[in-house]
Amino acid sequence: MTVSIVRRAGSVRFHYKWWGLIFVLPVVTFFAAFNLFPTLFGLWLSFTDYDLLNPPVWVGLDNFANLLADRLFLQAFGNTLVFVLGATVPVWVLSLLAALVFDQAFRGRDILKAAFFLPVLPPVVVIAVVWRLLLHSNGVLTSLTGGWWGVTEIRWLADATLAPFSMIAVHDWAIIPFFMMIWLAGLAAIPPEFREAAAIDGAGPVRTFWHVDLPQLRSTAVLVAALSSINAFQTFALQYVLPTDPGGPANSTLVLGLLVLKYGFQYFRMGDAAAVSVVMFALIMAVTLIQLWFNRHA
Amino acid sequence: MRKRLENIRRGRPVRTLIASVMAVLFAFPIWFMVTSAFKAETEIEAIPMHLIPWQFQGIAQFRLAAEIAPMWTYFLNSWLYALTHVGVTVFFGALAGFGFAKYRFPGRGLLFLAVLSTVMVPFQVLVVPLFIEVKAFGWENSYPGLLIPGMMNAFGVLMMRQYASDLPDELLEAARVDGASEFRIFLQIAFPLLMPALGSLAIIVFIWSWGAFLWPLVIVQDKALNVLSVGLTTYTQPYNGQPMWGAAMAASTVATIPIAALFIFFQRYFVKGLTAGAVKG
Repeated sequence: MTVSIVRRAGSVRFHYKWWGLIFVLPVVTFFAAFNLFPTLFGLWLSFTDYDLLNPPVWVGLDNFANLLADRLFLQAFGNTLVFVLGATVPVWVLSLLAALVFDQAFRGRDILKAAFFLPVLPPVVVIAVVWRLLLHSNGVLTSLTGGWWGVTEIRWLADATLAPFSMIAVHDWAIIPFFMMIWLAGLAAIPPEFREAAAIDGAGPVRTFWHVDLPQLRSTAVLVAALSSINAFQTFALQYVLPTDPGGPANSTLVLGLLVLKYGFQYFRMGDAAAVSVVMFALIMAVTLIQLWFNRHA
Repeated sequence: MRKRLENIRRGRPVRTLIASVMAVLFAFPIWFMVTSAFKAETEIEAIPMHLIPWQFQGIAQFRLAAEIAPMWTYFLNSWLYALTHVGVTVFFGALAGFGFAKYRFPGRGLLFLAVLSTVMVPFQVLVVPLFIEVKAFGWENSYPGLLIPGMMNAFGVLMMRQYASDLPDELLEAARVDGASEFRIFLQIAFPLLMPALGSLAIIVFIWSWGAFLWPLVIVQDKALNVLSVGLTTYTQPYNGQPMWGAAMAASTVATIPIAALFIFFQRYFVKGLTAGAVKG
């Protein structure tokens, strides 16, 4: 008995660090096969022409050079930037304001906060389907907004100028309660003594917010800005389901995420699709680097 | 302190009013979705809007939704998709997180960096090459192709490594001295201690995979394999020349119920999980 314990303990001590490798191996193998390999394969594809039927042909940087003159790509690029702008700045401000409201004590707060949080629950496709109905040109939202002024038709989704803004409004509606929760977590982390000290020094609520809360919320502020922009650069399901046709009308809601799909699975131009996705990747990496820089220096 | 009590006693009606307006504005579309699932098709777009169904339809719109398209098949596929992702990510995430946190084996840093780097790559970058790869495996339009490529989420490994590194080494060492095998140490000591974190992880992965759209959209053509979020797009199109918004709202409600149930029953984990998932970037 004693002998066997000593023997096992000895052999275990000899081996045991290798068990760590055994534990991580399934996951590492999986990521090698379904993440790292396709990432590198995609990078390589972006330097080729490939239509799924004939073998890929190496074309160097041609795909990227072509993108610069590609009107569809330039439009999608511009649409994406407009969407990112609309999905970050207003979201940042409004979710902070919402958090400041719900951070206070008042009657019915928990139930109202839960109601406010509801848009976070449905999957994005559900949100798109519901708003597609609400935003009919002479539908419910038109009657609720234009009805007062006798307007019976607003072409929320059918008008190429208005449609991108409808996308932004719906996206912001769905995402603001989520970022409010992030702000609330940041506000909850501020030691209450800070505010009490400010109150003793005679600071009003606005000055307390400006000089006490806001400096403490710096990392939350960077997080909200970074997350909302990374999220917005990747948008695609909303623009696929909500408009009258994916990316429409007249490509006014065509974003880079949709263009990858269009080139890849509609036109079978895999090289061009991969090149567009590399551009997306670069944009998102840039945001991540800016975020890291802010976290270190600001 | 006294001031706070006083505020609560007075109930702060102005704040309640402001918060009520915000709550109504944001909850209204969800209210509209759920009530419209019980309205007759003709009253859904009635103006002025009906706040509650005037001609209550019972479950007729849900029946109709299941007739127009195989909604319950979509629903089951969504469950299959979400549960595979949750199960694999929770178990293997905990296993690998524990391995990275508690064992100093050669190549650990490099392998961890490899896992970490996968979090940075947005899925849109993967979708085209991954599609070609999976097609080459012959998995296109099949359950393996639908379920396998995304079933492990690197975020799970990162999160679990974080929590596993807080486990006391003495505890593991004591079990080791008692002759427990390393796998038993993981299964019977580490795994139960990681449970609270695994709960948050399970919820966040469930939400992500329940709403997954892009991969199921490109890899599956067969209706019988579609998940609910892809299947939902069917309902925005007219059926036999008639709009089917009642069915669309019914199916949308069905697609929202699992997440809403999670929110109601696990509110604390839910918000924790979502915030933790957010910080991953």
